[in-house]
Amino acid sequence: MLKTILIIEDDTFLQRLETTKLKKEGYNILTAVNSVEAFKMIELNKTVDLILLDLLLPEVDGFAILEKIRKIDTTKNTPVIVFSNLSEEKDVSRAKKLGASEFMVKSNFTLDEISQKIKTLIG
Amino acid sequence: MNEEQELKIKKLKQENEKCKELQSAKSDMISISAHQIRTSLSAIKWIMKMFIDGDLGKLTTEQENLIKKAYEDNDIAINVVTELLEASKIENAEEKKYSFSEVNLIELIEDSIFDFSGEALSRKIEMIFLKPETKFPTIKADKQKFRVILQNLLENSIKYSNLNGKVFISIKEKNGLIEISVKDSGIGISEEGKKNIFEKFYRDTTAEKKECVGSGIGLFTVKKIVEGHGGKIWFESTEGEGTTFFFTVPVYKGSK
Repeated sequence: MLKTILIIEDDTFLQRLETTKLKKEGYNILTAVNSVEAFKMIELNKTVDLILLDLLLPEVDGFAILEKIRKIDTTKNTPVIVFSNLSEEKDVSRAKKLGASEFMVKSNFTLDEISQKIKTLIG
Repeated sequence: MNEEQELKIKKLKQENEKCKELQSAKSDMISISAHQIRTSLSAIKWIMKMFIDGDLGKLTTEQENLIKKAYEDNDIAINVVTELLEASKIENAEEKKYSFSEVNLIELIEDSIFDFSGEALSRKIEMIFLKPETKFPTIKADKQKFRVILQNLLENSIKYSNLNGKVFISIKEKNGLIEISVKDSGIGISEEGKKNIFEKFYRDTTAEKKECVGSGIGLFTVKKIVEGHGGKIWFESTEGEGTTFFFTVPVYKGSK
């Protein structure tokens, strides 16, 4: 059965590139551009195997979303890769404290490398 | 103290607060600007790589060579943005006064390693923390500044290592001092570099040969911070084989 990844990313171009790559790698992809869409996706799809989460999002940022993800029964143990171009130590620390499995700076990785990381987390 | 002096002190405090706010606003602006630039550079990086990998159709040899060059230049731009961010962080660390508290060094090292796990992964470098098995004493440190030491040394060890290299981080206690070491098997430091490596803006010829972008102020600041904590920093290095940086910090006397 296909593993499902939820991509929470407001830049639709980057979202499209990530989706294209990960679909090619054999994953089922759900997408959201903000917190409302993200939690709707989580409610409708009980099995989300991994979440790829941007931080700078409109209205509700990625930190607040991550905090809520860790309180929902179906996602409290779901691996979350925080995927952002913020890289300040305070941001990485905060993400880790809120339960991020990994923090990856987008511009430091190719889509292949992100896909490899995802494979190590969910296969 | 008379009224005039009190007024002057009050004004100075207000000016100081204003400076802090401006400094904070400047840091935020740099962080957000870097984020914006990196977002664009990420998109370019990913698309270029998709072309190189053939995901978007077959290229002619000439097209492939041109796109590979563009991909490399884009990576240089990404590194420059990262370096500017780091230089800004280091500049801030230099200016602030020290604020000491009891710090768990093992946790701080583990956090710093986590911070760089992504970068290490991208360069296929393994970071190995030789953690002590018994309880380890705490230190008295300015946590923010101390983190700058660890981040700088870890970043350098990754940056100047060859692909598939290993970086070893170890700590030990001896005679009331904790000694931390960061060892890589990378490009090493030239004989000329060994005399100047802690000078501000100095960049070794080995770094330039490896075409690593750098501001040259990292180790200068690291040395200042180590000494600000009552410690010493030194290194052992062989060009072409690798470098180990060592630094010490006193054990916290209240540590149990």
